[in-house]
Amino acid sequence: MSNNTLEPSVAVDPGDEYEPALGLDRATKACVRACEAEAAAKTASDYQHIVWSYGILWALFAVYGVSLWRRANRQRVEMMDLERRLKETP
Amino acid sequence: MARLLPTVFLIVAALVFPYSVDRIFLHTPIEREMGTAQKIFYFHVPLAWLMMAFAVTSGIAAVVQLRRASVRAEATSLAAAELVLLTGLGVLITGPIWGHATWGHAWTWDARQVTTGLLWLVFAAYVLVRRYGAAGSDRLAAALAIFGAVDVPIIYYAVRIWNTTHPGNRVVATLPAEMWNSLWPALIALTLVSVALLLVRLRQELTDIALDEAWILFNERDGHEQQHS
Repeated sequence: MSNNTLEPSVAVDPGDEYEPALGLDRATKACVRACEAEAAAKTASDYQHIVWSYGILWALFAVYGVSLWRRANRQRVEMMDLERRLKETP
Repeated sequence: MARLLPTVFLIVAALVFPYSVDRIFLHTPIEREMGTAQKIFYFHVPLAWLMMAFAVTSGIAAVVQLRRASVRAEATSLAAAELVLLTGLGVLITGPIWGHATWGHAWTWDARQVTTGLLWLVFAAYVLVRRYGAAGSDRLAAALAIFGAVDVPIIYYAVRIWNTTHPGNRVVATLPAEMWNSLWPALIALTLVSVALLLVRLRQELTDIALDEAWILFNERDGHEQQHS
């Protein structure tokens, strides 16, 4: 990596407090950015997969819970109907 | 007390679940090879364990139902079978999503995927026969539940018997401590929710059977009285 480091173009006086910014050459920077972009894309894609899988998972449980709740309501109505008919019959 | 159990389980699960998500996403290191997508593991694997446990429960209850003509066993078998469908669907959806992210393919037709799909189909058939079958079809359905339970060891040993894309069974046992510490809360939360739903469904099925018997008695008595009048 040190071969790719840009040397300061301005001669620096040893007594001067000024320190020029050091950077990487263009090719290395492009390479680093490409790696970072690839990692960012992978992370974003992974997050999408996670959100979908967790979302679907808990939606399934919620749908089943609602179906149980509806069944409980139907049973309650049926039980009330049976009780009413039992009271009506002599 | 038994009537309160599902509520207690759901309350405890509601407390454990946020802790589990916190652990998984904020306190567990990202797996080196699979990246962030590996975090699907913390719910996918417990769901698969629960699916297999419910399949075995349904199969054993079906055996008891056939041998002792037990109504409670029949209701347990049906309730557990519905939970197999629920957790199995979760496994069959989260697995391919994870596979798509890490293997590049959602479905590779590997032995574990196929046997899991088969288990789900067998229990779907069981529930359909129980719901739409003619009189006496409950015995045929019980045989299906037993057949489904036999598939469970095949799913477990599929990765040993055949070459599969799924990793071996020892992978989970050799997880680092921080991953195990995140797997436990997820397993506990999912188990509590699933068992709570199982208990509610079991009670509903027993109520349905009692209601059917009550209606039959009522109609017989009503018909008898009409004949006399």
